[in-house]
Amino acid sequence: MSDKINIPEHYERWDADVKVGKNDDKVAIGYWRDGCKGCGICVDLCPKKIWELIEAKDKWNGQVVRMTDASKCIKCMLCEIHCPDFCLKIY
Amino acid sequence: MAFEYEKYLRMDKIPHLWCPGCGIGIVLKAMLRSVENVGWDKNDISFVSGIGCTSRAPGYIDCNTLHTTHGRALSFATGVKLAKPDKNLVVFSGDGDATAIGGNHFIHACRRNIDMTLVVVNNNVYGMTGGQHSPTTPIGYKTNTTIYGNIDPTFDICLLAKAAGASYVARATVNKGRVLEKYITKGFQNKGFSVIVATANCHTQFGRKNKMSDPISSRKWIESREIPLEKARTMKAAELKDKVITGEFTTDEAETTFWENYNSPVHEYTEAYAKIIEKVQEK
Ligand SMILES: Cc1ncc(C[n+]2csc(CCOP(=O)(O)OP(=O)(O)O)c2C)c(N)n1
Ligand code: SF4
Ligand code: SF4
Ligand code: SF4
Ligand SMILES: [Mg+2]
Repeated sequence: MSDKINIPEHYERWDADVKVGKNDDKVAIGYWRDGCKGCGICVDLCPKKIWELIEAKDKWNGQVVRMTDASKCIKCMLCEIHCPDFCLKIY
Repeated sequence: MAFEYEKYLRMDKIPHLWCPGCGIGIVLKAMLRSVENVGWDKNDISFVSGIGCTSRAPGYIDCNTLHTTHGRALSFATGVKLAKPDKNLVVFSGDGDATAIGGNHFIHACRRNIDMTLVVVNNNVYGMTGGQHSPTTPIGYKTNTTIYGNIDPTFDICLLAKAAGASYVARATVNKGRVLEKYITKGFQNKGFSVIVATANCHTQFGRKNKMSDPISSRKWIESREIPLEKARTMKAAELKDKVITGEFTTDEAETTFWENYNSPVHEYTEAYAKIIEKVQEK
Protein backbone atom coordinates (compact mmCIF):
# COMPACT_ATOMS: atom_id res chain seq x y z
CA MET A 1 0.00 0.00 0.00
CA SER A 2 2.69 2.48 0.95
CA ASP A 3 5.98 2.79 -0.90
CA LYS A 4 7.73 4.61 1.96
CA ILE A 5 8.34 2.42 4.97
CA ASN A 6 9.87 4.36 7.82
CA ILE A 7 10.83 1.91 10.54
CA PRO A 8 13.96 3.01 12.41
CA GLU A 9 16.96 0.66 12.68
CA HIS A 10 16.57 0.10 16.39
CA TYR A 11 13.03 -1.26 15.97
CA GLU A 12 12.31 -4.99 15.74
CA ARG A 13 10.69 -5.63 12.40
CA TRP A 14 8.47 -8.28 10.83
CA ASP A 15 7.58 -8.34 7.11
CA ALA A 16 4.93 -10.54 5.53
CA ASP A 17 2.53 -11.03 2.63
CA VAL A 18 -0.99 -10.50 3.95
CA LYS A 19 -4.60 -10.27 2.84
CA VAL A 20 -6.54 -7.09 3.53
CA GLY A 21 -10.15 -7.99 2.81
CA LYS A 22 -9.90 -9.92 -0.45
CA ASN A 23 -6.80 -8.09 -1.65
CA ASP A 24 -3.18 -9.20 -1.53
CA ASP A 25 -1.00 -6.77 0.36
CA LYS A 26 2.27 -6.55 2.25
CA VAL A 27 2.84 -5.53 5.82
CA ALA A 28 5.89 -4.23 7.66
CA ILE A 29 5.44 -4.19 11.42
CA GLY A 30 7.85 -2.20 13.57
CA TYR A 31 8.18 -2.56 17.36
CA TRP A 32 10.30 -0.44 19.69
CA ARG A 33 11.12 -2.72 22.61
CA ASP A 34 12.94 -0.07 24.66
CA GLY A 35 9.83 2.11 24.72
CA CYS A 36 7.38 -0.74 25.36
CA LYS A 37 6.00 -0.98 28.90
CA GLY A 38 4.30 -4.34 28.39
CA CYS A 39 0.83 -2.95 29.11
CA GLY A 40 -0.84 -5.60 26.95
CA ILE A 41 -3.26 -3.26 25.15
CA CYS A 42 -2.04 -4.41 21.70
CA VAL A 43 -2.43 -8.04 22.80
CA ASP A 44 -5.99 -7.35 23.94
CA LEU A 45 -7.09 -5.34 20.91
CA CYS A 46 -5.60 -7.30 18.01
CA PRO A 47 -8.50 -9.13 16.29
CA LYS A 48 -6.07 -11.79 15.02
CA LYS A 49 -4.42 -12.28 18.44
CA ILE A 50 -0.94 -12.22 16.96
CA TRP A 51 0.72 -10.08 19.65
CA GLU A 52 1.90 -12.09 22.62
CA LEU A 53 3.15 -11.03 26.05
CA ILE A 54 6.51 -12.50 26.99
CA GLU A 55 8.63 -12.30 30.11
CA ALA A 56 11.31 -9.59 30.20
CA LYS A 57 13.44 -9.52 33.34
CA ASP A 58 15.01 -6.19 32.38
CA LYS A 59 11.65 -4.41 32.36
CA TRP A 60 9.96 -2.60 35.23
CA ASN A 61 6.80 -4.69 35.08
CA GLY A 62 8.51 -7.80 33.77
CA GLN A 63 6.99 -8.13 30.33
CA VAL A 64 7.15 -7.00 26.71
CA VAL A 65 5.40 -8.25 23.57
CA ARG A 66 6.37 -10.09 20.42
CA MET A 67 4.74 -10.68 17.07
CA THR A 68 3.87 -14.33 16.57
CA ASP A 69 2.63 -14.37 12.96
CA ALA A 70 2.77 -11.19 10.88
CA SER A 71 1.16 -12.97 7.90
CA LYS A 72 -2.18 -12.97 9.74
CA CYS A 73 -2.18 -9.17 10.17
CA ILE A 74 -5.14 -7.44 8.52
CA LYS A 75 -3.66 -3.95 8.93
CA CYS A 76 -6.59 -2.74 11.00
CA MET A 77 -4.20 -0.41 12.86
CA LEU A 78 -5.94 -0.98 16.21
CA CYS A 79 -2.66 -1.84 17.94
CA GLU A 80 -0.83 1.12 16.48
CA ILE A 81 -3.56 3.66 17.31
CA HIS A 82 -3.91 2.44 20.91
CA CYS A 83 -0.33 1.82 21.98
CA PRO A 84 0.06 4.56 24.63
CA ASP A 85 3.84 4.53 24.26
CA PHE A 86 4.56 5.24 20.58
CA CYS A 87 6.09 1.77 20.10
CA LEU A 88 4.27 0.33 17.09
CA LYS A 89 4.39 1.09 13.40
CA ILE A 90 2.30 -0.70 10.80
CA TYR A 91 3.13 -0.09 7.13
CA MET B 1 0.01 3.73 7.03
CA ALA B 2 1.88 4.37 10.23
CA PHE B 3 1.75 7.89 11.61
CA GLU B 4 5.08 9.58 12.22
CA TYR B 5 4.60 10.90 15.74
CA GLU B 6 8.36 11.54 16.04
CA LYS B 7 7.91 14.66 13.96
CA TYR B 8 5.97 16.25 16.86
CA LEU B 9 7.71 14.64 19.84
CA ARG B 10 10.65 15.67 22.00
CA MET B 11 12.14 12.21 21.59
CA ASP B 12 14.72 12.79 24.33
CA LYS B 13 11.78 12.91 26.78
CA ILE B 14 10.26 9.59 25.57
CA PRO B 15 9.37 7.08 27.07
CA HIS B 16 6.97 9.33 28.96
CA LEU B 17 6.34 9.01 32.72
CA TRP B 18 2.79 7.65 32.46
CA CYS B 19 2.10 4.20 33.87
CA PRO B 20 2.03 1.19 31.52
CA GLY B 21 -1.34 1.30 29.72
CA CYS B 22 -2.34 4.78 30.94
CA GLY B 23 -4.96 6.30 28.62
CA ILE B 24 -3.32 9.73 28.40
CA GLY B 25 -0.81 8.57 25.75
CA ILE B 26 -3.67 7.44 23.50
CA VAL B 27 -5.35 10.85 23.79
CA LEU B 28 -2.08 12.65 23.07
CA LYS B 29 -1.61 10.55 19.92
CA ALA B 30 -5.15 11.39 18.75
CA MET B 31 -4.35 15.06 19.31
CA LEU B 32 -1.19 14.84 17.18
CA ARG B 33 -3.00 13.13 14.32
CA SER B 34 -5.60 15.91 14.54
CA VAL B 35 -2.86 18.53 14.18
CA GLU B 36 -1.78 16.78 10.99
CA ASN B 37 -5.41 16.57 9.81
CA VAL B 38 -5.87 20.34 9.99
CA GLY B 39 -2.35 21.03 8.72
CA TRP B 40 -1.14 23.34 11.49
CA ASP B 41 2.54 24.22 11.54
CA LYS B 42 3.90 23.25 14.94
CA ASN B 43 5.36 26.72 15.40
CA ASP B 44 1.82 28.10 15.28
CA ILE B 45 0.57 25.90 18.12
CA SER B 46 0.55 26.89 21.79
CA PHE B 47 0.00 23.81 23.91
CA VAL B 48 -0.95 24.71 27.49
CA SER B 49 -1.63 22.64 30.60
CA GLY B 50 -2.08 22.94 34.37
CA ILE B 51 -0.88 20.32 36.85
CA GLY B 52 -1.58 16.59 37.00
CA CYS B 53 -0.63 13.46 35.09
CA THR B 54 -2.61 14.70 32.08
CA SER B 55 -0.95 18.07 32.35
CA ARG B 56 2.47 16.55 31.73
CA ALA B 57 1.51 16.17 28.06
CA PRO B 58 2.98 19.42 26.68
CA GLY B 59 6.42 18.44 28.02
CA TYR B 60 6.62 15.76 25.34
CA ILE B 61 5.57 17.89 22.38
CA ASP B 62 7.88 19.94 20.20
CA CYS B 63 5.86 23.15 19.84
CA ASN B 64 5.27 26.27 22.00
CA THR B 65 4.41 24.76 25.35
CA LEU B 66 3.36 26.10 28.75
CA HIS B 67 3.10 23.96 31.87
CA THR B 68 1.29 26.28 34.29
CA THR B 69 -0.40 26.04 37.71
CA HIS B 70 -3.11 23.65 38.84
CA GLY B 71 -6.53 24.60 37.45
CA ARG B 72 -5.30 27.73 35.70
CA ALA B 73 -4.33 26.40 32.29
CA LEU B 74 -7.32 28.06 30.63
CA SER B 75 -6.46 31.42 32.19
CA PHE B 76 -2.89 31.28 30.89
CA ALA B 77 -4.20 30.06 27.54
CA THR B 78 -6.67 32.94 27.44
CA GLY B 79 -3.77 35.31 28.02
CA VAL B 80 -1.72 33.71 25.26
CA LYS B 81 -4.66 33.77 22.87
CA LEU B 82 -5.42 37.43 23.57
CA ALA B 83 -1.76 38.37 23.11
CA LYS B 84 -1.23 36.14 20.06
CA PRO B 85 -4.61 35.65 18.37
CA ASP B 86 -3.04 33.96 15.35
CA LYS B 87 -1.75 31.03 17.43
CA ASN B 88 -3.74 27.81 17.68
CA LEU B 89 -4.40 27.12 21.34
CA VAL B 90 -4.67 23.58 22.65
CA VAL B 91 -5.18 22.90 26.35
CA PHE B 92 -4.90 19.53 28.13
CA SER B 93 -6.50 19.18 31.58
CA GLY B 94 -7.36 16.40 33.97
CA ASP B 95 -10.87 16.13 35.45
CA GLY B 96 -9.57 17.67 38.68
CA ASP B 97 -7.66 20.40 36.91
CA ALA B 98 -10.63 21.36 34.71
CA THR B 99 -13.62 20.86 36.98
CA ALA B 100 -12.42 21.02 40.62
CA ILE B 101 -9.79 23.69 41.26
CA GLY B 102 -10.25 25.01 37.71
CA GLY B 103 -14.04 24.72 37.54
CA ASN B 104 -14.64 28.43 37.53
CA HIS B 105 -12.07 29.09 34.84
CA PHE B 106 -13.66 26.28 32.87
CA ILE B 107 -17.23 27.61 32.85
CA HIS B 108 -16.05 31.11 32.11
CA ALA B 109 -13.88 29.97 29.23
CA CYS B 110 -16.99 28.22 27.88
CA ARG B 111 -19.06 31.33 28.48
CA ARG B 112 -16.56 33.45 26.63
CA ASN B 113 -16.47 30.98 23.75
CA ILE B 114 -12.83 31.90 23.21
CA ASP B 115 -11.28 30.16 20.23
CA MET B 116 -9.29 27.28 21.65
CA THR B 117 -9.62 23.55 22.16
CA LEU B 118 -9.70 22.01 25.61
CA VAL B 119 -9.14 18.27 25.86
CA VAL B 120 -10.19 16.98 29.28
CA VAL B 121 -8.76 13.57 30.11
CA ASN B 122 -11.40 12.31 32.52
CA ASN B 123 -10.06 9.40 34.53
CA ASN B 124 -12.53 9.99 37.41
CA VAL B 125 -9.77 10.68 39.93
CA TYR B 126 -6.78 12.79 40.93
CA GLY B 127 -4.18 10.51 39.41
CA MET B 128 -1.00 12.39 40.17
CA THR B 129 -1.53 13.06 43.87
CA GLY B 130 -2.42 9.54 44.94
CA GLY B 131 -6.02 8.91 43.99
CA GLN B 132 -8.31 11.40 45.71
CA HIS B 133 -11.89 11.62 44.40
CA SER B 134 -12.70 14.26 41.82
CA PRO B 135 -15.94 15.92 40.66
CA THR B 136 -16.32 13.09 38.15
CA THR B 137 -15.82 10.10 40.48
CA PRO B 138 -19.03 8.09 40.03
CA ILE B 139 -21.33 7.53 43.01
CA GLY B 140 -20.50 4.41 44.99
CA TYR B 141 -16.90 4.07 43.76
CA LYS B 142 -13.96 4.03 46.10
CA THR B 143 -10.99 6.34 46.11
CA ASN B 144 -8.43 7.25 48.74
CA THR B 145 -10.77 9.97 50.03
CA THR B 146 -14.05 8.05 49.60
CA ILE B 147 -13.07 4.80 51.24
CA TYR B 148 -16.67 3.82 52.00
CA GLY B 149 -17.88 4.71 48.51
CA ASN B 150 -18.37 8.15 46.99
CA ILE B 151 -21.60 10.03 47.71
CA ASP B 152 -20.82 13.22 45.80
CA PRO B 153 -22.89 13.47 42.62
CA THR B 154 -20.80 13.95 39.49
CA PHE B 155 -20.47 16.73 37.00
CA ASP B 156 -21.17 15.69 33.45
CA ILE B 157 -18.41 17.74 31.84
CA CYS B 158 -20.08 17.77 28.42
CA LEU B 159 -23.42 19.03 29.74
CA LEU B 160 -21.62 21.59 31.87
CA ALA B 161 -19.63 22.83 28.88
CA LYS B 162 -22.69 22.96 26.67
CA ALA B 163 -24.78 24.79 29.26
CA ALA B 164 -21.97 27.27 29.92
CA GLY B 165 -21.72 28.11 26.24
CA ALA B 166 -18.97 26.05 24.58
CA SER B 167 -19.67 25.87 20.87
CA TYR B 168 -18.32 22.38 20.18
CA VAL B 169 -18.64 19.63 22.77
CA ALA B 170 -17.96 15.92 22.30
CA ARG B 171 -16.93 12.85 24.23
CA ALA B 172 -15.16 9.63 23.24
CA THR B 173 -13.26 7.00 25.18
CA VAL B 174 -9.65 5.84 25.01
CA ASN B 175 -10.95 2.57 23.59
CA LYS B 176 -11.71 4.41 20.34
CA GLY B 177 -8.66 6.40 19.33
CA ARG B 178 -9.99 7.10 15.83
CA VAL B 179 -13.20 8.65 17.21
CA LEU B 180 -11.18 10.79 19.60
CA GLU B 181 -9.14 11.96 16.63
CA LYS B 182 -12.29 12.84 14.67
CA TYR B 183 -13.71 14.92 17.53
CA ILE B 184 -10.45 16.71 18.34
CA THR B 185 -10.06 17.53 14.65
CA LYS B 186 -13.56 19.04 14.61
CA GLY B 187 -12.72 20.92 17.79
CA PHE B 188 -9.67 22.40 16.08
CA GLN B 189 -11.82 23.39 13.10
CA ASN B 190 -14.47 25.05 15.27
CA LYS B 191 -13.99 28.79 15.64
CA GLY B 192 -14.86 29.10 19.30
CA PHE B 193 -14.40 27.18 22.52
CA SER B 194 -14.29 23.43 21.95
CA VAL B 195 -14.37 20.84 24.69
CA ILE B 196 -13.49 17.23 23.99
CA VAL B 197 -13.79 14.88 26.92
CA ALA B 198 -11.66 11.76 26.65
CA THR B 199 -12.92 9.13 29.06
CA ALA B 200 -9.75 7.43 30.22
CA ASN B 201 -8.42 4.80 32.59
CA CYS B 202 -6.35 5.46 35.67
CA HIS B 203 -6.02 1.85 36.74
CA THR B 204 -3.14 2.79 39.06
CA GLN B 205 -5.13 5.09 41.34
CA PHE B 206 -8.83 4.62 40.53
CA GLY B 207 -8.80 1.05 39.23
CA ARG B 208 -6.74 -0.22 42.16
CA LYS B 209 -9.48 0.79 44.60
CA ASN B 210 -12.27 -0.71 42.49
CA LYS B 211 -11.03 -4.18 41.59
CA MET B 212 -9.57 -3.26 38.19
CA SER B 213 -5.96 -2.45 38.86
CA ASP B 214 -4.67 -3.39 35.41
CA PRO B 215 -5.15 -1.30 32.25
CA ILE B 216 -7.17 -3.93 30.40
CA SER B 217 -9.86 -4.39 33.07
CA SER B 218 -10.11 -0.62 33.56
CA ARG B 219 -10.52 -0.18 29.81
CA LYS B 220 -13.22 -2.86 29.77
CA TRP B 221 -15.02 -1.10 32.62
CA ILE B 222 -15.09 2.05 30.49
CA GLU B 223 -16.33 0.03 27.52
CA SER B 224 -19.10 -1.51 29.61
CA ARG B 225 -20.39 1.93 30.63
CA GLU B 226 -20.29 3.58 27.19
CA ILE B 227 -23.60 4.38 25.49
CA PRO B 228 -23.56 6.25 22.18
CA LEU B 229 -25.75 9.37 22.25
CA GLU B 230 -28.13 8.08 19.58
CA LYS B 231 -28.84 4.97 21.58
CA ALA B 232 -29.08 6.90 24.85
CA ARG B 233 -31.91 8.95 23.38
CA THR B 234 -34.04 5.81 23.22
CA MET B 235 -33.28 4.74 26.79
CA LYS B 236 -34.93 5.57 30.08
CA ALA B 237 -33.19 7.77 32.64
CA ALA B 238 -32.88 4.88 35.09
CA GLU B 239 -31.10 2.75 32.47
CA LEU B 240 -28.56 5.52 31.97
CA LYS B 241 -27.46 5.53 35.57
CA ASP B 242 -23.66 5.21 35.87
CA LYS B 243 -23.31 5.30 32.06
CA VAL B 244 -20.99 7.40 29.93
CA ILE B 245 -22.73 8.96 26.94
CA THR B 246 -20.43 9.44 23.97
CA GLY B 247 -20.87 11.46 20.81
CA GLU B 248 -21.19 15.06 19.74
CA PHE B 249 -23.34 17.21 22.02
CA THR B 250 -23.56 20.40 20.02
CA THR B 251 -24.29 19.29 16.49
CA ASP B 252 -28.06 19.29 16.94
CA GLU B 253 -30.34 20.74 19.57
CA ALA B 254 -31.03 17.91 21.98
CA GLU B 255 -34.42 17.71 23.59
CA THR B 256 -34.25 19.67 26.83
CA THR B 257 -36.42 17.23 28.75
CA PHE B 258 -34.18 14.36 27.78
CA TRP B 259 -31.15 16.07 29.30
CA GLU B 260 -33.08 17.08 32.38
CA ASN B 261 -34.01 13.45 32.96
CA TYR B 262 -30.47 12.29 32.44
CA ASN B 263 -28.93 14.93 34.67
CA SER B 264 -31.49 15.13 37.47
CA PRO B 265 -30.21 15.19 41.09
CA VAL B 266 -29.29 11.73 42.38
CA HIS B 267 -30.04 12.28 46.05
CA GLU B 268 -30.22 14.93 48.71
CA TYR B 269 -26.71 15.39 50.15
CA THR B 270 -27.45 15.41 53.92
CA GLU B 271 -29.47 12.20 53.56
CA ALA B 272 -26.65 10.52 51.70
CA TYR B 273 -24.20 11.68 54.35
CA ALA B 274 -26.44 10.32 57.14
CA LYS B 275 -26.56 6.95 55.38
CA ILE B 276 -22.79 6.81 55.25
CA ILE B 277 -22.51 7.55 58.98
CA GLU B 278 -24.98 4.78 59.65
CA LYS B 279 -23.00 2.40 57.48
CA VAL B 280 -19.70 3.20 59.17
CA GLN B 281 -21.13 2.92 62.70
CA GLU B 282 -22.49 -0.55 61.95
CA LYS B 283 -18.92 -1.82 61.50
C1 LIG C 1 -2.83 24.92 43.89
C2 LIG C 1 -2.59 23.46 43.95
N1 LIG C 1 -3.41 22.68 44.68
C3 LIG C 1 -3.22 21.36 44.72
C4 LIG C 1 -2.19 20.78 44.02
C5 LIG C 1 -1.96 19.29 44.12
N2 LIG C 1 -2.40 18.61 42.91
C6 LIG C 1 -1.54 18.32 41.91
S1 LIG C 1 -2.25 17.48 40.65
C7 LIG C 1 -3.75 17.45 41.45
C8 LIG C 1 -4.96 16.77 40.89
C9 LIG C 1 -4.74 16.08 39.60
O1 LIG C 1 -5.91 15.47 39.15
P1 LIG C 1 -6.41 15.65 37.67
O2 LIG C 1 -6.48 17.09 37.32
O3 LIG C 1 -7.66 14.85 37.48
O4 LIG C 1 -5.21 15.06 36.79
P2 LIG C 1 -4.70 13.56 36.60
O5 LIG C 1 -3.48 13.43 37.43
O6 LIG C 1 -5.80 12.63 37.05
O7 LIG C 1 -4.44 13.47 35.14
C10 LIG C 1 -3.66 18.11 42.70
C11 LIG C 1 -4.79 18.24 43.64
C12 LIG C 1 -1.34 21.61 43.27
N3 LIG C 1 -0.34 21.13 42.54
N4 LIG C 1 -1.57 22.94 43.25
S1 SF4 D 1 -2.75 -4.02 12.60
FE1 SF4 D 1 -4.54 -5.11 13.46
S2 SF4 D 1 -4.26 -7.25 12.84
FE2 SF4 D 1 -2.28 -6.22 12.51
S3 SF4 D 1 -1.14 -6.62 14.39
FE3 SF4 D 1 -2.17 -4.65 14.68
S4 SF4 D 1 -4.10 -5.12 15.67
FE4 SF4 D 1 -3.30 -7.06 14.85
S1 SF4 E 1 0.46 -1.43 23.50
FE1 SF4 E 1 2.55 -0.61 23.20
S2 SF4 E 1 3.44 -0.41 25.26
FE2 SF4 E 1 1.63 -1.73 25.42
S3 SF4 E 1 2.44 -3.82 25.24
FE3 SF4 E 1 1.81 -3.20 23.19
S4 SF4 E 1 3.66 -2.30 22.26
FE4 SF4 E 1 4.05 -2.43 24.47
S1 SF4 F 1 -1.38 7.53 37.97
FE1 SF4 F 1 -3.16 7.15 36.64
S2 SF4 F 1 -3.33 8.98 35.33
FE2 SF4 F 1 -1.28 9.00 36.28
S3 SF4 F 1 0.06 8.01 34.77
FE3 SF4 F 1 -0.62 6.41 36.19
S4 SF4 F 1 -2.48 5.53 35.23
FE4 SF4 F 1 -2.07 7.50 34.23
MG1 LIG G 1 -7.88 12.92 36.77
